[in-house]
Amino acid sequence: MSSNSNSDKGTRNLVIGMVAFIVLIGVIFSFVSNKSSSTAKVPAAVSSADGYGIVLNANATPKIDIFIDYQCPICKNFEIINGGYIAELAANAKAKVVIHPMTFIGAESILAANAAACAADEGKFLDMNIALFQNQSATENSGLWTGDYMKRLGNSIGLKSKSFEKCVTDGTYVDWTKNVAQASAAANVNSTPTVKINDKELDRNTEYMDPVKFRAALAAAGVK
Amino acid sequence: MTFNFSKLQPWLTLMARLVLGGVLLVAGLLKAINPQKSAMAVRAYELLPVSVANFLGYVLPWIEIGVGALLILGTALKINAAIGGFTMFVFIIAIGQAWARGLSIDCGCFGGGGAVDPGKTKYIEEILRDFALMLTAIYLYRFPKGRFGLDK
Repeated sequence: MSSNSNSDKGTRNLVIGMVAFIVLIGVIFSFVSNKSSSTAKVPAAVSSADGYGIVLNANATPKIDIFIDYQCPICKNFEIINGGYIAELAANAKAKVVIHPMTFIGAESILAANAAACAADEGKFLDMNIALFQNQSATENSGLWTGDYMKRLGNSIGLKSKSFEKCVTDGTYVDWTKNVAQASAAANVNSTPTVKINDKELDRNTEYMDPVKFRAALAAAGVK
Repeated sequence: MTFNFSKLQPWLTLMARLVLGGVLLVAGLLKAINPQKSAMAVRAYELLPVSVANFLGYVLPWIEIGVGALLILGTALKINAAIGGFTMFVFIIAIGQAWARGLSIDCGCFGGGGAVDPGKTKYIEEILRDFALMLTAIYLYRFPKGRFGLDK
C-alpha cells in the first residue's frame, strides 16, 4: 500500500466511504420502515396492553395469545386442528382470545392482516380469520392475495359494507401491523404459530397439533 | 512448492475474496429485505437479551453487505477479512450452543430462520460451511494482496 499514489488513495477512500454510506442508509431505513407508531390507526378490538393483538372477550379468563402469520402453512394446520375449538371458546366467552397477526412473511401477510383487522371492526374477525387460512396460497407472496381478492373474500363471508371495502382499499391498518410486529418481537415470539396461555407458552412439540392435548392444556389453565 | 505458491497466491486471494465477499453480500441482502424475519432468526438462538437480538437482526445484514462489498472490490482487505472471520467464528459458537442446548432452529444465515421441526435442523452443514468460510477469511488476512483489487 506504500506505493499508492494520492489519486489511488482518494479512489479507495471514496469507495470505502460510499459503501459505509450505503450501509448506514440501509440500517436507518430498516429501523424507520419497521418502527411501530403510537399514532397508527388501530382496530377497535385492539389494545396496546395486549401487544396490539385483536382481542375477543376482553374480560374473560384465562387469556390465550395466538401469534400467527396468514401465509404460514403450519398456522393453517393449527387453525384446521384447533380453530373450531378456539372459535367456540370465543363465542361462549370461555376465554379471552388475543390473535396477533404477524407479517414477517411479507407483503401479502400485511394485506391479509389489514383485511382481518377491517373485518374485526365489522364484528366478523373470526370468519375472516378462517377464510384467510382456507384461501392461503401454496407459496408465499405468490400474487394471489390482492386488495380486490380481500374484498371478494370479505364479500363471501357477508362483509359487503362500503366501510369494509374502504378499509381494505386504503390499507387503514397497515401501520398497525408494524405495531403488532414490534410488540411480538419484544415478547420474544420466534416462530408462528406461537400459543401462550396466561403468558406461558404451550409445548410446541406436543400440545400444538394434537387437539386432545391442546384441550387438556387449556383445561389445565382453567378453561371450562 | 514455494515458487508455485507465490505465483498462485494472488489468484487464490482473488478467489477467497470473491467467495467470502460473495457469500456475505448475498446472505446480507437476503436478510436485509426482511428485517422482521432477520430479528426473529437472531431471537431464536435464545442467546441475547431480546432487545439486543432485535437490534442485531436489523444491523447485522447491512454489516455483511458492507464487508462483502469491500471484499469483492478488494479494499481494506485485512480489516474486512478480520471482521468476516470473526463473524463466522461467532456464528459457529451461536449455532454450536443452539445444537448443544437442544434447540431446533434454522441458522437463518440466508434469510429464513427461527424454529424448525426437530428432525429438520442442519447444524453440521451450517457449522462446516461457516468453518470453511472462517478459514477463507484467515487466508485473506494472511495474504491480502491479490489480483484485480482496488488496493495495489
